[in-house]
Amino acid sequence: MNRRATIIVVVMIALMVYAGWRSRPTKNTAMVAGAQSLTAGEAVGREAPDFVLSDLQGKKVKLSDFRGKAVLLNFWATWCGPCKVEMPWFVELQKQYGPQGLEIVGVALDDSPREVISKFAKEMGVNYTILQGQDSVGDAYGAMGLPTSFFIDRSGKIVESGSGLLERSEIESDIKKALAAGGNAGMQPTKTAATTPSKT
Amino acid sequence: MRLKSSLLLLPLLLAYTCVAADDNPKLSRVYVSFEGASSATVVPGKPSEVELRFRVKDGYHINSNKPKSELLIPTTLKLEPPSDLASEGVMYPPGKDLSFPFDPSEKLNVYSDEFTVRAKLSADKKASPGNFTVHGQLNYQACSDNACFPPKNVPLQFDVKVARASTGHHGTPQSPHIR
Repeated sequence: MNRRATIIVVVMIALMVYAGWRSRPTKNTAMVAGAQSLTAGEAVGREAPDFVLSDLQGKKVKLSDFRGKAVLLNFWATWCGPCKVEMPWFVELQKQYGPQGLEIVGVALDDSPREVISKFAKEMGVNYTILQGQDSVGDAYGAMGLPTSFFIDRSGKIVESGSGLLERSEIESDIKKALAAGGNAGMQPTKTAATTPSKT
Repeated sequence: MRLKSSLLLLPLLLAYTCVAADDNPKLSRVYVSFEGASSATVVPGKPSEVELRFRVKDGYHINSNKPKSELLIPTTLKLEPPSDLASEGVMYPPGKDLSFPFDPSEKLNVYSDEFTVRAKLSADKKASPGNFTVHGQLNYQACSDNACFPPKNVPLQFDVKVARASTGHHGTPQSPHIR
């Protein structure tokens, strides 16, 4: 009897360890560094996980290259209807707030080839940075549903986040918050050709 | 005594196991479930249809097999029948043209609630009579009223009965009175 009970206990502990392992937060891969995965509702106040992704011209872009600017980091996909609704707003907001230091960065969590994403962005009149996403980056931000947006201040801290289609007024208000926070001291945007992201 | 204490902890450990598995959004978010298949009997040389029923979680929809844009990911069924069976084609139901709050001006062709996909199966002439298990998966991409979710698949399996082929020589026996 004792032996049987011991076996049951061991099996239960093994199950527990297995479940814990399955549900572990996804560790950032080489693409994402410096922060643990974010979970919904706990992003605000934390440093935005840094990452390196390719833009639509194939050039490497690092999120931290935008330090000194406010960043609207938007996860989207070509197959996502609600994402398509937000894009014209982003075009207008980039025009309006770009001179004040806003950089909108769209990360396409999409299996489509670069050409398809590029064509889609062109048709939508996108005037902001589009990057080809990787699951590791989406996981690091806990972007399970699309669109998901993070509003990052000039120092790299997340000041607001939202999942699903947001109201335009809400997006604009969060952009203003990101522009106002984080200060400017020592946070000028990088201006070297190697690190300045290109627009689509 | 120590063993008894350990046994008392078992329900707690089990609860933790369930909660931990449920906490992982990638594991817990399922938008379509396989509800079962109609019974199917296949006679070699005579394909037969099987109906596969699916349910979309309340508040969500998935693209039909023929969405209105090439950018949208269609729902598709892939079957992997055992070697004595073959898939002769999959028939998808028409989707419903619906618009959603995120863009009331655009109608999408979608499946929601319940839908049934039909698959035609045939048996090899050399197939032995008996029950065979067919495996497969439904690939889909789901959205709610204000967000979309990465493509997923729901695995499925169902049984198909292969009956003995009629040889044509063993029809209804003729009455001995008929000449």
